[in-house]
Amino acid sequence: MSATATTPQRTPVKPFYFNTSAHLRRITEYKANSLSDLLDAMRECPEDSIFQHTFRTLEEHHFLRAGFSNDFAHWALAACNEPSLAETFAGVDVREFIAVAELRERFIQILEKYLRENPESGTRVADEAFYFCASDTVVLPTSFVANTMHEFTEGVRHVSLHSIQHHFIEARLRIKLMSNDFSQWLHEDAGLTETARALNRIDIYTATLEDVRQHIVRIVERALS
Amino acid sequence: MKPVKSESAARSMSSESTFDPVSPARTEQRTAPRTAPRTSPRIWETPPAPVPPPHLDDYRSIVSSAVIDELRFLARDLKGKTLKMVNSTAVGGGVAEMLNRLVPLLGELEVSTHWDVITGGNDFFEVTKAFHNALQGAEYELTRHAQEIFLTYNDQNRQRMQFNEDIIVIHDPQPAALIRARQDGPARWIWRCHIDLSNPHPQVWAFLRPFIERYDAAIVSSESFARQLPIPQYLFYPCIDPLSEKNRQLDDTFVQKVCDEFGIDRSRPIVTQVSRFDRLKDPVGVVQAFKLAKKYVDCQLVLAGGGASDDPEGAIILKEVKEEAGNDPDVIILDLPPWCALEINALQQASTLVVQKSIKEGFGLTVTEALWKGKPTIAGAVGGIPNQVIDKLTGMLVHSVEGCAYQIRYLLTHPEFAAQLGRNGREHVKENFLMTTNLRRWLLLMQITLRRGTA
Repeated sequence: MSATATTPQRTPVKPFYFNTSAHLRRITEYKANSLSDLLDAMRECPEDSIFQHTFRTLEEHHFLRAGFSNDFAHWALAACNEPSLAETFAGVDVREFIAVAELRERFIQILEKYLRENPESGTRVADEAFYFCASDTVVLPTSFVANTMHEFTEGVRHVSLHSIQHHFIEARLRIKLMSNDFSQWLHEDAGLTETARALNRIDIYTATLEDVRQHIVRIVERALS
Repeated sequence: MKPVKSESAARSMSSESTFDPVSPARTEQRTAPRTAPRTSPRIWETPPAPVPPPHLDDYRSIVSSAVIDELRFLARDLKGKTLKMVNSTAVGGGVAEMLNRLVPLLGELEVSTHWDVITGGNDFFEVTKAFHNALQGAEYELTRHAQEIFLTYNDQNRQRMQFNEDIIVIHDPQPAALIRARQDGPARWIWRCHIDLSNPHPQVWAFLRPFIERYDAAIVSSESFARQLPIPQYLFYPCIDPLSEKNRQLDDTFVQKVCDEFGIDRSRPIVTQVSRFDRLKDPVGVVQAFKLAKKYVDCQLVLAGGGASDDPEGAIILKEVKEEAGNDPDVIILDLPPWCALEINALQQASTLVVQKSIKEGFGLTVTEALWKGKPTIAGAVGGIPNQVIDKLTGMLVHSVEGCAYQIRYLLTHPEFAAQLGRNGREHVKENFLMTTNLRRWLLLMQITLRRGTA
């Protein structure tokens, strides 16, 4: 996104097509009974698994404001009783990654470091196994198309939360930018660069996805008023 | 129907047909006025006629229009495709209940769905019942004779049925050998297993496995139920229907009426466990936890379930529960028949807290029901419960009588935290465990499976 300020165009150059994605959870052959197993499986599992246990699980628990970040963090605490590792895992912000491979590498680095410092934790058997799942995804259109800024805010107001997740959180994996579909459109097609930046500062980990939706609407409406 | 109160209350009943649910001790403690008990409660009658299934648009107000529209978009590419569901019973049991709702909804989305039920003699169903238990870990001696019975009836059904649909879904082990009807062609075959396969009887699983491996995909209800198989395995959580009698929002006057009939005081906290009188649901442990908690907080315990009248072990457990409850008038034990969905719903809606202190559990749909009603829920950390109750976020997980007692005390004295758990729990169900989510999974599976078939 360019840092150059542009005059708000109010009438966007191109329409915004609201899409959504639907996911089906597949259970893979990878399973961990200890942190060492988890490390091995993290290295070998398909990227769809890392996506499922980070991006996707965030959507499945979109109604929580705190206490849930990703499945690895949850398992490290609930099944392995390793609060320090859980906290570090939980601190991984999916928005800092534009590729699942990088995200996988980050988790591997955290776990390798932890096991170097706490070797006795590696082989301790967890209370319950971690089953690596993967997400099979289908992208769908919705009936919402925004030709104007008003239609855009109405779209954000009324699409499903799956659509918000698709455009606002998962988009970076598609567009390979530290941004999201809404911000890209606001910047490139509506000339609302500051608004686009403001959207990128919304904290998805301390808000529910419904809160995020409301934030987006408020920020865009403020820019238009 | 046998509504039973703890020993002293039970003695106050003159006969079943003139049940007075309020014991003298309870009457003294009651602060809210009570309507006169019905002389012929509805729940003592025969099962009511089934209610027509809801339409897709009926769910709009619950899950939002956008979610329903997404289902229609998902179904758009499937128009003209045909689906066959095959299971072993048309009525009774969770699978039939789910199919009774799912099949009309798929039809409404123009995914033509045909539901077939296999037939078999008593010998077949004795064998499949034994298989069912063995696959869930029970001891069993698999004989050649049992295998022959299983295969003979599967063959008879195979010859009787047509398999011309695009996707054929076979539910559970009973009809699993119908896969032998598979021929070269584009049809995709899916095995939907509703039972716990985490620790199957090795012989029975070895017998069934070659059939399962011939399917294109399998669906299980929990990650831990997946087996090492050369086919994709998908996770479909069980679900509840928010418009069913057991889960729909009830008028408060009805809730009040049910509470009045059962002698439950809504002006005081109500802690409820809904479950069969089964050792694995630990109803005795619930009474013990309640007694520990009651030393510090005022509350009543409602144990509502069934199984005591048609199951000898259920009757034994019920007796043990009554003994544990002793003379406490605040322990209200209700042995209800299976058609009391509305009453169960009312009891859940009237509850301040819901407990499901299971020692072993499948998925635990009573937990799903409680969460859906926004009730702060305390549940044993077993089976599928941790998928629903995320400790301290959507409910409280416990491992002991003492833990359960503590959480009852804590939640009753911290109502804001309890209310937040209830709100989170309801959202969790809305996102992951409702019929609409289940429908979405079926549509997705059809899309993915058919696409894979043409790839």
